[in-house]
Amino acid sequence: MAVIEHSGRSPQERLADMIGASGSGIRQIIPRLLFIVLLIGCSLMFLAPFAWLVSASLKVRSEVFGPEWIPDPIAWENYVKVWEAAPVLSWLRNSLLVGVLAALSVTISSALIAFGFSYFRFKGRDALFNLVLATMMLPGVVTMIPVFLIWDQLGLVNTLWPLWAGNLFGSAFYIFMIRQFYLGLPRELFEAARVDGASYFGLWRHVALPLTRNALIVVFVFEFKASWTDLVKPLIYLYNSDLFTLPRGLKALLDQFGQGGELQWEIILAASVIVTLPMIVIFFLGQRYFMEGIATSGLKG
Amino acid sequence: MSKRSWYYFAVMLAMAAVMVFAAGAPALQLAEAQDGISGELSVMGFSLPDEVATVRVDRFRELYPDVELNITEGGLDQQQFLTAVASGNAPDIVYMSRELLSTYAVRGALMPLEDCIESQGIDMSQYRQAAVDQVTIDGQIYGIPEFFNVILVIANTAALEEAGLTVDDIDISDWESIAELNEALTRIEDGQVTRIGFDPKLPEFLPLWAAANGVQLISEDGRTPNLNDPKVVEALEFAAALHEAAGGRQDFMAFRDTWDFFGSNNQFVQDQLGVFPMEQWYVNVLSDVSPDAPVDFLPFTDREGNPISYVTGNAWAIPVGSSNPEAACAFAKTMTEADAWIAAAEERARLRAEAGTTNTGIYSANVLADEVIFGEIIQPSGNEKLDKAIEVAVAAMDGGFGIPANPAGSEFRQAWQDAVNRVLNGEQTAQEALDQAQAEAQAAFDEAWMFQE
Amino acid sequence: MTRLSRRERRVTLQQRERLAALAFISPWIIGFLVFTAGPMVASLVLSFTNYDVINPPKWVGLANYQRLIDDPRIELSLYNSFFYAALHVPLMMIVAMALALILNQVGRAAGFFRTVFYLPSVTPAVAVGTLWLWLLNPRVGLINRALALIGIDGPGWTTDPAWIKPGIVLMSLWSVGNTVILYLAALKNVPIELHEAAKIDGANPLQRFRHVTVPMISGTIFFTLIVNIISSLQVFTEVYTMFFGNMRSGTASSAGLFYNIYLFRQAFEFFRMGYASAMAWLLFIIIMILTFIQLRVSKRWVYYEGA
Repeated sequence: MAVIEHSGRSPQERLADMIGASGSGIRQIIPRLLFIVLLIGCSLMFLAPFAWLVSASLKVRSEVFGPEWIPDPIAWENYVKVWEAAPVLSWLRNSLLVGVLAALSVTISSALIAFGFSYFRFKGRDALFNLVLATMMLPGVVTMIPVFLIWDQLGLVNTLWPLWAGNLFGSAFYIFMIRQFYLGLPRELFEAARVDGASYFGLWRHVALPLTRNALIVVFVFEFKASWTDLVKPLIYLYNSDLFTLPRGLKALLDQFGQGGELQWEIILAASVIVTLPMIVIFFLGQRYFMEGIATSGLKG
Repeated sequence: MSKRSWYYFAVMLAMAAVMVFAAGAPALQLAEAQDGISGELSVMGFSLPDEVATVRVDRFRELYPDVELNITEGGLDQQQFLTAVASGNAPDIVYMSRELLSTYAVRGALMPLEDCIESQGIDMSQYRQAAVDQVTIDGQIYGIPEFFNVILVIANTAALEEAGLTVDDIDISDWESIAELNEALTRIEDGQVTRIGFDPKLPEFLPLWAAANGVQLISEDGRTPNLNDPKVVEALEFAAALHEAAGGRQDFMAFRDTWDFFGSNNQFVQDQLGVFPMEQWYVNVLSDVSPDAPVDFLPFTDREGNPISYVTGNAWAIPVGSSNPEAACAFAKTMTEADAWIAAAEERARLRAEAGTTNTGIYSANVLADEVIFGEIIQPSGNEKLDKAIEVAVAAMDGGFGIPANPAGSEFRQAWQDAVNRVLNGEQTAQEALDQAQAEAQAAFDEAWMFQE
Repeated sequence: MTRLSRRERRVTLQQRERLAALAFISPWIIGFLVFTAGPMVASLVLSFTNYDVINPPKWVGLANYQRLIDDPRIELSLYNSFFYAALHVPLMMIVAMALALILNQVGRAAGFFRTVFYLPSVTPAVAVGTLWLWLLNPRVGLINRALALIGIDGPGWTTDPAWIKPGIVLMSLWSVGNTVILYLAALKNVPIELHEAAKIDGANPLQRFRHVTVPMISGTIFFTLIVNIISSLQVFTEVYTMFFGNMRSGTASSAGLFYNIYLFRQAFEFFRMGYASAMAWLLFIIIMILTFIQLRVSKRWVYYEGA
């Protein structure tokens, strides 16, 4: 294979070089500008509904569905009412706790399990993996009650455990996904490490893991978000309102402020924004680490 | 395998062990019934949105200081309730709509309340008969009723004036005149409807229109659906036809969805609607957000001219697995007795007077409470129209009826609502649709009543 | 120490590898035995019973499956779900790929846009459903207002049975962020050296996309294809909120009845957990067949470096 000289530019920059989208000549700026304009257009479409959500949440009830984008007057008290009506801080704490535990445990366990299904070649591997896939295909609704009964036997109903501890055993979705990434890693890397005396665990820890960092971060964020927005599990497992997670709390508020058909929309919308906001902040802060550390394939020239 | 991985697995096992031991306590019910009512009482399906709820709950706390109330806030979710029941974790008392209650009662999930009524000395005659009927199955009572939401007709007087009419010209018992009124008040501009004349509120109000025509959707014993009765077909045809004036159902619905229903720019302020029947709580909304809207109120009547109303509401029931039925019974009684409602009404009156808004009353399902609330507490507010609304609503309570207790509530509802939608979409005629619904409903009923055996 | 023969050494290596593999997989096996296998078998058994959750299950043999055949709403809801999936999956993948490719070109600015695209999938489903009910309103919703700007008379997204599913597809595209993130991660994993080598060989951007990029990310494409099909056949919350929640009283009762919604109703509103289980297993079998067809076909176009 040819030896490539790297001129000290980052991979992104080099890629941009190649498609002619770097540099500062006119020929380079135009495509880039075009892309950015396109992106801005798309962003507006994505943001518009969201902007309406925020704007409506700050309106007084009688104006909520009105056409103005800027509320007048600005009803900050909607948020105060939500805050006072409910132990929102507790909910936030619970959601964070459960989210982190769920995401962490599923990432580690799925990464381990996926490795078992990708690096090793043993009889029955594919059949067993097909079984893993199959578990993704059964609608959760019908296993809900049997699973609930299991947790009940363990005495863990009305605690936070059922909301995340199942992730200690991996999740078919992420196992599948991480396995795809592992399968894309060249075998030579592992062979080389074996020659150097690495154990199987070492192979996973020191070869596979670093090279699929991006995928693992994606898994973490996905599961965090899934856990954050999940309503069903808190609904059936939690009875004490200070154990609620944010979506469960949102539902309680929705019912509380909506009896007799009179929906206090502005409260519900404010609560929706409160529920969504932390997730956005976390994502925005974390996504820097997402794509950083571009995977070097490790191909040696 | 390397030591590290064993370590990892050992940690997992340790955590699992800790889980099992540390977690038990909250689920234990520690209370023993002592003399009198005491112990823990877990409540599901109830929330505390306003003073009407909180005043009554506080009153219970004062009367029964030894009871530890544990309210899982939020409306009843069937997933939540069923999983709780399935695992033996049923709440001690549950709050649900009366329509839903009978489906659970027939399946044996709720206790008959004879013993409770006797031991607590609950006087069932204080509750409105229509409400009690809804929670009575085969002569056994399964719930203590709470709330009695009635329907009245709200008219846009500005629109009427424009057509040279007044409220007194509206005759709900004369269906032909309703159709004419609909034509007169519907307004189309540039091919698009800008005001609906008469909104029959289909599909929700089919039972109301059927009753206006003299029939119910189910037999009184709750065992036989009556959906393709010729009078029901006639009612559906009539109500569906009203949508034509607006250019067909789709335009009608799309336009209706644009209303700022709960807001200060609602359909009466914006002159987007002529007349419609509506639940009485909407009067509250109007008096809050648009007290100056040009509206007037009149009773909904059947074709004979008698005021009738389709009634909805909730009830307290005791699940079979309840661990504290005595306290549950006391709670149900205390929450729904006249004094509780009166105390709540007084608090509402006080708050409303402070805020300067009108007190439109509480529709409690308790006749004794009604006498006091509407006889003494509610005073003429100075807003003639709203006073009239209250009068109409109170009168409507006497003509109230509910869907008889039956075990297939949700499925029955799906059958006739789908039928109405099919008719409105032009997919079937009323007769075809209701025939189909009748067959579906009968099958569902037969299956469900089997549980009673 | 006795020396093992070559053959013996190979066998031992195989055994060791197998043990090691099982050790890695063991958490899943435990979880499967405790939390999955049991409930799956339970739901299969339940499908042969009448079970209203309150009373013990009653054996009825194949009655539920017979019912599956007789019930017209099964065919209707399957059709609805498949129609939706057929529209949603290709559109979703194309849009996500397009966005990911663009994001890949703009360097650091991508960070902000990534967040923007991901925002919608973080919004609570209930809020999304409510939001889109308003957005899709044929008279005042933003969608039709925007269409009107370019002279198109927008259809009745929430009222016309023919347009309800496309409207839901539109709403689902708003949550494309998930897939964009995945594709972006995959794109970044394509080794630069391959692109450089290809360019040296004279390939233009389109050719590079076809022959370098796509094969390298084919694993991810395959993954999103399968997963999206499975999840789109199980859509529930947003549609339920839009068309079946308290406020809507079944406006779209035919056109919007998706399979999972009907399943949910049977389980929790009509007290037919047994029938719901039969429905679930029907869907399960359908999805299994679909997936394994795809797995077979995938051997032809998915490229794995390290398999």
